[in-house]
Amino acid sequence: MASAGCTWFVVLVCVFVCNLVKALLPGLSSLLSKVLQKDAEQEMEMRSEIQNMRAELSSISMMDEFARYARLERKINKTTDKLKTHVKSRTAQQAKIKWIVNIVFYLLQGALMVSLIWKYYPVPVTVVPSKWIAPLERLVAFPSGVAGGVGITSWLVVCNKVVAIGLHAVS
Amino acid sequence: VENGPKTSRTAAQKRAEIRRRKLLMNSEDRMNKIVGFSKSDGESNGKTCPSVRLTSLTDYLVFMFSLAGPEEEDMLSVDPRSRSPRRGLQKYLSRFDDAMKLRGQLASEKAAQDSGGNGDELDSFRLFRLTGSALLAIFVRVFVCQYLSIFAPFLTLQLAYMGLYKYFPKVEKKMKTTVLTAALLLSGIPAEVINHSMDTYRKMGDVFSDLCVYFFTFIMCHEMMLLFSSETP
Repeated sequence: MASAGCTWFVVLVCVFVCNLVKALLPGLSSLLSKVLQKDAEQEMEMRSEIQNMRAELSSISMMDEFARYARLERKINKTTDKLKTHVKSRTAQQAKIKWIVNIVFYLLQGALMVSLIWKYYPVPVTVVPSKWIAPLERLVAFPSGVAGGVGITSWLVVCNKVVAIGLHAVS
Repeated sequence: VENGPKTSRTAAQKRAEIRRRKLLMNSEDRMNKIVGFSKSDGESNGKTCPSVRLTSLTDYLVFMFSLAGPEEEDMLSVDPRSRSPRRGLQKYLSRFDDAMKLRGQLASEKAAQDSGGNGDELDSFRLFRLTGSALLAIFVRVFVCQYLSIFAPFLTLQLAYMGLYKYFPKVEKKMKTTVLTAALLLSGIPAEVINHSMDTYRKMGDVFSDLCVYFFTFIMCHEMMLLFSSETP
């Protein structure tokens, strides 16, 4: 009885956890990409190097020391191109990690939903007098078929919607 | 002796000039061959094809673009009473512009979404609806459900919301550009029809959200009452 009474709560908790993890996915992806990226310091060094060179360039007079000016400018351009390539590859890696994290999450979520439906499809998550939910008792009871019962699919849909609204309001 | 080289230069120059003229004269024929005109068609009907001076690559591309469409036959017909290619060209160029604008809008909306902004903000009316649905569910569970179906009060509530809508500040909901709306716009469906459909879909979504909150609150209330009644001796 207690286990039957807790079914609605178990489903609600699962849905809540899934939606919470979904809301935290972007943060998780960026954290993972930071952990997996090994050459983040190199990018910082390149940026500070470009900044220093630009400061040096601004102090050189083009008229008086053209050769030095041109040399430094070429060096700045070369380092900027290198930085751009680096940023491009980092962005591509971040996008790839984000994509993988999303795919893994959706696969796990799908597996969880399917297993919940598989486990609870003949049993309603809760039972109320059938006249309370007339005339939609058949739809609400699907797929359990129990008169007055709330089926797993209806409860999943309702919980998903409510938890999404709740998390959206909080965030 | 002096006349010899001069004569040969003049002959060479003449030949070069002839070659140049031949190339220039044939450019239009070559273009007509590419686009499907043939010289004999024009001459046999006794009418001239619309002559298009293609002096640059841009003109060529614009001309080719104007030919890629369902009005191709009209444009290629030699009947002078047919529509001018200019109109078809403008139509396709405007569609191309629309497609580029929609593409830009899609990209910017995607960037805004990625940066964390959510288009569906909870405005005051939506919040009022959800709160009202939850409170009604509690009331129905405690007082009403023994007498009639729980969906009857819900429908009454929705009718009330339709009337109360005008008393709330109207929030201008900007139509989000999605792939679906962009495809519908480009396929020729007027924007007003799309807006109206999206508005109807949004209203149905609001009713569905209210129903989910109502039902969820009802069931939670029911379970709480069962729990408390089982615990009390």
